[in-house]
Amino acid sequence: MGKMDPLFLALSYFKRRKFEKCITACTELLAKNPYDQAVWSLKTRALTEQVWVDECDGEEEGLADVLMDDNTIASVARPGTSLRTAPPSTADGPSQTFRPSTQSGRPLSGVVRPGSQGGRPGTMDQALRTPRTAQTARPMSATSGRHVRLGTASMLSTTEGPFINLARLNIAKYATQQNIAKALFEYIYFHENDVRHALDLAAQATQAQEFKDWWWKVQLGRCYYRLGLFRDAEKQFKSALKQQDHINTYLLLGRVYIRLDQPIGALEVYKEGLDKYPGEVTLLTAIARIYEGLHDLTKAVKFYKDILHHDATHVEAIACIGTHHFYTDQPEVALRFYRRLLQMGIYNCEIFNNLGLCCFYAQQYDMTLTCFERALSLATDHSVADVWYNLGHIALGIGDINLAYQCYRLALVANNDHGESYNNLGVLEYRRGNLDTARAFFMTAASLAPHMFQPHFNHAKLAHKVGDLQTSYIIVQKALALFPGHVDSKELLKTLETHFHTL
Amino acid sequence: MLAPVFTLNLNQKIVPGRVCIGKYDGAHSCLTASTTADKVFIHNSHQRLGVAGGRMSLSQSSAEVSLLNINQTVSAITAGKLTKDRHSDILVVGTPTNVLAYDVQNNSDVFYKDVSDGANAITIGQLGHHSFPLALIGGNCSIHGFDSEGNDPFWTVTGDNVSSLTLADFDGDGENELLVGSEDFEIRVFKQEEILYEMSETEAVTALCPMQGSRFGYALANGTVGVYEKLARWWRIKSKNQAIAIYSYDLDGDGVPELITGWSNGKMDARNDRSGEVVFKDNFPSTIAGIVEGDYRMDGKNQLICCSVDGEIRGYQSSSPESRYSMMDSNIEQETIRELSQRRHNLLLELKNYEENQRMGSSGEILSGKPSTAGDQVGVIPANTQLQTGLAINMGSEDKNIPPHVEIALATTNDTIIRAVIIFAEGIFEGESHVFHPRESALSSNIRVPLYPPKDVPVDLHIKAMVGYKASLHYHVFELTRQLPRFSMYALCTTPVTEPQGYVKFKLTERVARIVMWINSSFLLLDDLQADDEGVLDVSFVSLRSNMPLIVQATPQCEITVRTDNMDLAGDIMQALSNYLNLEDLQVEADFPSELEQLGSVLERVEEYHATRQRLSAEMADHSGVIRTLVVRAEDARLMSDMQSMRHWYGELYNLNKDLISGYKIRCNNHQELLNCLKQVNQTIQKAGRLRTGKSKTAVISACRQAIKNNNVNSLTKIIRTGSA
Repeated sequence: MGKMDPLFLALSYFKRRKFEKCITACTELLAKNPYDQAVWSLKTRALTEQVWVDECDGEEEGLADVLMDDNTIASVARPGTSLRTAPPSTADGPSQTFRPSTQSGRPLSGVVRPGSQGGRPGTMDQALRTPRTAQTARPMSATSGRHVRLGTASMLSTTEGPFINLARLNIAKYATQQNIAKALFEYIYFHENDVRHALDLAAQATQAQEFKDWWWKVQLGRCYYRLGLFRDAEKQFKSALKQQDHINTYLLLGRVYIRLDQPIGALEVYKEGLDKYPGEVTLLTAIARIYEGLHDLTKAVKFYKDILHHDATHVEAIACIGTHHFYTDQPEVALRFYRRLLQMGIYNCEIFNNLGLCCFYAQQYDMTLTCFERALSLATDHSVADVWYNLGHIALGIGDINLAYQCYRLALVANNDHGESYNNLGVLEYRRGNLDTARAFFMTAASLAPHMFQPHFNHAKLAHKVGDLQTSYIIVQKALALFPGHVDSKELLKTLETHFHTL
Repeated sequence: MLAPVFTLNLNQKIVPGRVCIGKYDGAHSCLTASTTADKVFIHNSHQRLGVAGGRMSLSQSSAEVSLLNINQTVSAITAGKLTKDRHSDILVVGTPTNVLAYDVQNNSDVFYKDVSDGANAITIGQLGHHSFPLALIGGNCSIHGFDSEGNDPFWTVTGDNVSSLTLADFDGDGENELLVGSEDFEIRVFKQEEILYEMSETEAVTALCPMQGSRFGYALANGTVGVYEKLARWWRIKSKNQAIAIYSYDLDGDGVPELITGWSNGKMDARNDRSGEVVFKDNFPSTIAGIVEGDYRMDGKNQLICCSVDGEIRGYQSSSPESRYSMMDSNIEQETIRELSQRRHNLLLELKNYEENQRMGSSGEILSGKPSTAGDQVGVIPANTQLQTGLAINMGSEDKNIPPHVEIALATTNDTIIRAVIIFAEGIFEGESHVFHPRESALSSNIRVPLYPPKDVPVDLHIKAMVGYKASLHYHVFELTRQLPRFSMYALCTTPVTEPQGYVKFKLTERVARIVMWINSSFLLLDDLQADDEGVLDVSFVSLRSNMPLIVQATPQCEITVRTDNMDLAGDIMQALSNYLNLEDLQVEADFPSELEQLGSVLERVEEYHATRQRLSAEMADHSGVIRTLVVRAEDARLMSDMQSMRHWYGELYNLNKDLISGYKIRCNNHQELLNCLKQVNQTIQKAGRLRTGKSKTAVISACRQAIKNNNVNSLTKIIRTGSA
């Protein structure tokens, strides 16, 4: 029996996504003939495929970019036109009182996404101090950070040195060879994570193609995007779209507008994409996410439902609709969505936790504790605090203050940065009459979770009660800054103001 | 006195000339201006004014200001309706490298375009037959017109950097023409892509504003403001301060708009459009930044809004016809009295002179022929004294270091002497006039004044000469006007000259005699020129400025060839000739080897600069990414009191920063070079256009534009040569 052609074998490995084997086969072939372009190109592709990540979804703004970049045009945009300003007063859906917000000040969503965990700090000090706990660490900047951690092999050490030495690469030569250039670009961009060289290659290649190849324009745009040159990226993407409608290009262009904080512009891009590709799930998801960020929850849910029409197993859509129903007082409906997720094979701590909560609020008490037991048994170090925190809620709901107290304590044992638990513990202490302890808890909660208005309001109320009107006045304003529509805070402020007027 | 109807202070610095007003939500006027640190602020007055309806207090007003980050120097700003179907205004911001049209209401871009020529002036409106409004961007020698989608259906070139733009219905046909003021002192009127008229001014035109019909106001960099009605200048005044902004607004309620001027010393005045007489003035503590008009009190009437650089805003309401007369307060009365008494004084002086003359005439004394003394009331010269003038070309002399020039000779007909000469002419002298007074010992009865006209334009010389006797105290003033022909700086050459390589060839259906007539009238010739017996004309000139030859040849069939290496000069000649002959359309064949060669190399350089720029900016972005990381690391170390590593990070940061700064300098130079090259390209296209007349001119310019867009150098040179691709 004759041996199979080694190149064919390597290709077969590649097709079956056995990249390690493919790379070894290619390395052997290259040792025999270092100038075999086909093998060389195959190896670059295999190496790239190993580390490839979806950029559109996995991207997160770095700490430094958030702090030091001024890419947005309007610093204080009209409410409802920016992903950064406070929600418009006319926003429909449940208010912040019922639906908590994430650290970034956006409404809590059904899924955790990059970026929704970190807040928008005002100063460098604040940025470095507060949100960098184990769960909320964010990358330093776009050029370092997540891309290096997640997707690239540039940090892996190889025994025989790098496959391609970028410093000695003759970019001008490869840019003209289209058969190699594209594979090489992806290798540099994804595997080596060297955006500057990638940009150089893309720029020369697109020139060699006389600016007629849309693919190179998209890649150029990506490089510019990574470097933070959003305007150049926008130009390239738009030019690429003129030549070829492509879903990915629409998504990337939309990301550019999001980074420029122009959600309306991004929506327009996505909708334009939908005209060309009706019912495209990724575009619909992107639209729904933006509406969610704009506090337009009704529209967001409408789009999530649209997604389910086209893709009935879309986890994000199901989870988000479930969350929406839960927070709009329909736990029974939410329960159905979470059960659907469970049926689809998602079997983790969070789903049982949510199921437990839905059961409790739907008055199916028999299932509640079973669900939470399951959740606790599946919980990781990361999520156990949240489970205990929710159990504390159940305990409060059935009036078992002692159990609630213990639950919150356990939550803090699991994660001593859990601001919500501190706040609730404070309330419990307050009811017990331990005012000093309560105040300490509120203050801790406020410093740990700068996005929450509750600790501020509670603290202000406490200060008002003990007669420290000045403190109360200052702190209630902080609560109102986070949640301008909070009625109780407004009333407290009004009482205080009348007090001061009569003085 | 007219008092401001509202005053407020925004506590924001305003960059002079970068002020506009827009109704971004379709109903409420928002003052928008560029402020420090490359930001633009928008003042949302209606948030409070709409409710209270009264004056705003200081503390509130600053809270209503929202800032837009542009991150680049704002070079021009305007707001207007760019989309036809929407009622809200779009804000258009120009920077040295790009233009951003921004929908303030929705916080989204309408378009963002690179304009490598820069954006020095922007205006929005309907232009000519275009059915949709355009944002017209004036840059270095070029004008772009963008529609709401960011396409540019309008493009043309102009002679120099555009410094002001406005739209007005100049010829009264119901369609707007584009008025362009540029740094070569010209105001050009464009109908579509074609230049309708050109008006020469004496300085860079910094501002233009339409007034009523075909009337428009203008301001120059030397502090002149004035009003044109079509091609005729109605009035102008000159101040030592600079006019920052001009605007037309009917302040006194008489139905005719006044020209409102904001000056650099903080003065604001309104002048009658017909006479230039001041009807109203006000003073700001600092330089005026801009003047706009908008309904700021929500009462349905537009106010005139004046802003100073310190952020002080004053609004003036057009006064009703009844209250017009109350404006004439004591201040104006006093001024009128002063003016009248001044006139009385002058008249009395004149009367005295006449009396003195009469006394002398009656006494029969012969006083002429000797200088007047302090005791005399008047100096007398013979009645038949005449002042003769002559224009001539002086070839200069090498050894005395006098370049060739045109000179004007003045001489009296008898033994009287010329004490001094004042020549007033636009565009020849610095500051418009020239005073020539020889030393006491060198006084004589004839004087030669050298002139160096920098441009080939016909100039009216207004001459005032003081004539009298030596050491006399009184002189007679002779006033006269001479016209300097357009091409006076070209001397007729009698010796054969080397034939220049560049030429323009064309055929006219005219008699050669008319061409000869034109030459006689536009060149400074001692004797009138004649075509030879067969009707062949061959005449050569030499430029006094550059010593370059210029040859005009014509066959009896009126095939004319103009040979010169200077494309600019050829353009001037073609324009002057077609003007003289009233040509509607003229296509020519031209070749300027040296210019075209240069154009090729310039375009190559542009390519190079673009490539370099791309590389440099990528490098810079990469560096800045690293810098951000370093700052965060260093701050992190500081918070942890890890001084050693903080020192380390900051040290690295310092080095990187130095790199970045040197990189920036390289980029700056690169950009400057790029700008110069682009300007050269645009100017060459403009020159190529000037070689033709009418439709052919427009066609050449748009064909050149297409060739540049397609980066086709060969077709570009072909278009310049033959007029079509």
